[in-house]
Amino acid sequence: MSSFTKSAQQWATFARSWYLIDARMQPPGKIATMCAIRLQGKHKPIYHALSDVGDHVVVMNSRHIAFSGNKWEQKMYSSHTQYPGGFKQVTATQLHSKDPKAIVKLAVYGMLPRNLSRRTMMQRLHLFPEDDLPEDILLNLTEELPQPREIPRRLNEYSQEEREAFPTLWTPLPQTFK
Amino acid sequence: MVAFRKVFIVTHHPKTVMASGYIVNRGVLTFGIHYQHVSRNVLLTHTREKKRWMKAYTLLMERKLKIEGPPPPKPRAQKPNWDYHAEVQAFSSRLKESFSPELLKTAFVNPCYIQSEQERRQALGVDSEMAALVLGDNIQLHRQGLVFTKSFLSDWCRASFPSLPSMGVVAIVAHLTSHPVVCLVAQNLAIEDLTMSAQFPVPDEVLHSTFLAVIGALHESSGAERAGFFLRDFLVTQLVGKDLFEMWSVVNPMGLLVEELSKRNRALPEPRLTRSAGAGTVLPLYFVGLYSDKKLLAEAPGETVLAAEEEAARVALRKLYGYTENRRPCDFSAAAQPQAPGLQSFSSS
Repeated sequence: MSSFTKSAQQWATFARSWYLIDARMQPPGKIATMCAIRLQGKHKPIYHALSDVGDHVVVMNSRHIAFSGNKWEQKMYSSHTQYPGGFKQVTATQLHSKDPKAIVKLAVYGMLPRNLSRRTMMQRLHLFPEDDLPEDILLNLTEELPQPREIPRRLNEYSQEEREAFPTLWTPLPQTFK
Repeated sequence: MVAFRKVFIVTHHPKTVMASGYIVNRGVLTFGIHYQHVSRNVLLTHTREKKRWMKAYTLLMERKLKIEGPPPPKPRAQKPNWDYHAEVQAFSSRLKESFSPELLKTAFVNPCYIQSEQERRQALGVDSEMAALVLGDNIQLHRQGLVFTKSFLSDWCRASFPSLPSMGVVAIVAHLTSHPVVCLVAQNLAIEDLTMSAQFPVPDEVLHSTFLAVIGALHESSGAERAGFFLRDFLVTQLVGKDLFEMWSVVNPMGLLVEELSKRNRALPEPRLTRSAGAGTVLPLYFVGLYSDKKLLAEAPGETVLAAEEEAARVALRKLYGYTENRRPCDFSAAAQPQAPGLQSFSSS
């Protein structure tokens, strides 16, 4: 950028980064869009579909994703074994209990362009159900991306002072009132 | 017998053909090349008929070109439409400089040319007393030009980059007066066409000395100021896009940086890894920052941590010497102060 040697500038421009995303309490669709953008390389000004400029994305805590609405019960994932009578439909809950990485994986797969580069990009997506990452992945990481959804706090996560400072609709009657 | 297709020309009024058609090969009307690859049914050109010999001739010429290769380059003086005196005058007026004609013509004459001319005349048997070769050399002008160029460029460098040390100035001046740069400028200013030398194509050494002789001639004719402007406009502009360490090879940038910082009484640089990507892969990237007294001097990328540290030292040196890519550009406006050799009091442009 600011007066590097030409070779150093080129190396830095075309290097592949490793991004980390924490999927705890996040909607898998939003996680998937962030992954898809970075796997394709669309966040870089040097992007071209044929240039293979995508980065690696590591998603952790994929077991703790949070669908909004009733999608855990209503969203259906279908598959066919190619044999007669082999059509299978499972709910998101069932699929998630079988394989905690599948929901995020299918979401990202569906958001990537439908061409031969998709499989290569999926190879650069690394999913982990919990937050214990292997050492070689930890070595490679560059940056952690901010979570797309702000996690709301439970009532027991608010301190007593915050609870008292919260505005009330009416003043509660004193205990001694009869 | 070669079978050929009869071309039926649809008779149009020439004016309508003019509106609808276009000349396929502009050589048609000048060289009469009637063979065209575009359309075999409709005659798109405005000549009489297709010449039967044209195809055979073109193919023969191409075959000859393939066997013998391209023809050797000819000097411009041996091509048509050349008037030496007019060209020399045009040279000086094109550059908007007032050269004295004798000095300029002398500047173009090289000693190798005089020697070859003498030998040619002796070989032809011309008596040297009868037709003496009255041509001056450009050695004197070349020396003057060289001295002036070196002093002007050094002064310009010191004025534009006040913090650059002498070694850097010497390196930049050596690069600007080197054969590749000077020959590129000379070829594009048509000095190569006007040079009188024994060999063609003109050797780099000869072209280099001719260019400096022209500078010397300009210095004699119009003075130091005009010659300075000429050098600034044509030679100094070759620095555009060039990096400092492309011209000045520094083997140990970290050592040089430590020296510079100790001269300015600042803390020694401490390298720290700022960011990294793919450290465990075969294509890692490391960004190393150099901190002097906990303040960032420079940050640079590299394949290994050591390479990134060396690169960061180079970036820090560029920042200290003021030779970054985002520095204020040089002032080429007409109202700029003239740069005479010896004047050091010049605010960095």
